[in-house]
Amino acid sequence: MYLVANIDTEICAATSCKLCTQYCPEANTILYDNAAGEDKGFKYGAAYVAVDRCKGCAQCVWVCDNMAKHNAIKMEMIDQIGDTALTENVTYGEKTSTAILANPVRGQM
Amino acid sequence: MSLDYVKFTPGFGKFMPKEYRDMVEHGPFGKKTSVSQVGTFKEILEEHPMCAGCAMTLFIRLAIIAFPNPEDTITVGTAGCGRLAISQAAIPFVYGNYGDQNGVASGLTRGLRLRFGDKPKDVVVMAGDGGMADIGFAQTLHSWFRKEKFTTIMLDNEVYGNTGGQESGMTNKNQVLKMAPLGKKFEKMDMLGMAKVAGCAYVATVVPNNPRRVESVIKKAVLVAREIGPSYIQAYTSCNIEYAIPTDKVMEDAKTVETDRYKFSEYITDEAKEYLSQLYGYKEYLPKPAAAVEKK
Repeated sequence: MYLVANIDTEICAATSCKLCTQYCPEANTILYDNAAGEDKGFKYGAAYVAVDRCKGCAQCVWVCDNMAKHNAIKMEMIDQIGDTALTENVTYGEKTSTAILANPVRGQM
Repeated sequence: MSLDYVKFTPGFGKFMPKEYRDMVEHGPFGKKTSVSQVGTFKEILEEHPMCAGCAMTLFIRLAIIAFPNPEDTITVGTAGCGRLAISQAAIPFVYGNYGDQNGVASGLTRGLRLRFGDKPKDVVVMAGDGGMADIGFAQTLHSWFRKEKFTTIMLDNEVYGNTGGQESGMTNKNQVLKMAPLGKKFEKMDMLGMAKVAGCAYVATVVPNNPRRVESVIKKAVLVAREIGPSYIQAYTSCNIEYAIPTDKVMEDAKTVETDRYKFSEYITDEAKEYLSQLYGYKEYLPKPAAAVEKK
């Protein structure tokens, strides 16, 4: 198994700084959902990771911890993060994107 | 070249991969997108085989987002790491033989101007320090002296990263590398100075730890190259493999190097300032009112 970035939606939606989306070396990997966290009263959305694109460099973790000082991103084992975003389940909309969460490990339900 | 070249032939859309459909329907073509909106639109750059945490990839990604008209842009590259990512973008990429990239871009720019006249078609050369300062040095300098109107971007990782760590002209003096065990014997080449002497209208250094600045610098360089003359950007894009930087510390290194020896610098000719302020509304280049000048 290997490590991928996992963003805590609640911490992220509380600040919505979008820094990690700008610092990821992989394209279309850290995406942004303007509606994330709405059910908990947050207005400006949160970032999420399409884990099939993540190479596990942890650059976003450094940016979140040291530049933004939000500590919202952690590196986690892919088989232990539960349902998460995958490129094939991402839908783009008008200035936003959303993902239907699914199990990232093939063969597991 | 137009917006149509990315669209599907009618009836074939449903057979296309999801990434392609997303790019046509939600990509930045024909729209104004910026680095601050990243993550909410489909980027032109796709999956690529560059190393995890590579700062060069981050810079290429930001540069491609920053192109003012991606649908009217052609990138030119050469051997080196950079081309592995640049060629994975949905804009035409021309592969110049090693060192030929600025020569190829010269011909391409002239050809596009003959074919399309005044309609802006941007040519952007993105190559490494080896391709530009060592092997393609003559062609790079000559294209600047001839005032060829295209943008040259050096992805300066200060080493031949793709071939095992040989020193390049842009490596710092005394730097020990895997294939330079005694350390480099001479100073880092002053390509910025040479660009100014050779007559580039816009010259800048940038480090990718400031994405908004990368965006602004690339936009200005491409716009200046449309009408005024050659533009040159030198970007520090560390090689975390050859310089043994842990991937999560790449941005920390970029920050240290930026404060230490790669400070942001910008050189722009008066003609380019006037052009940017009048045609594209860059307020910082507007001539200062006479009253304000007198007070000083």
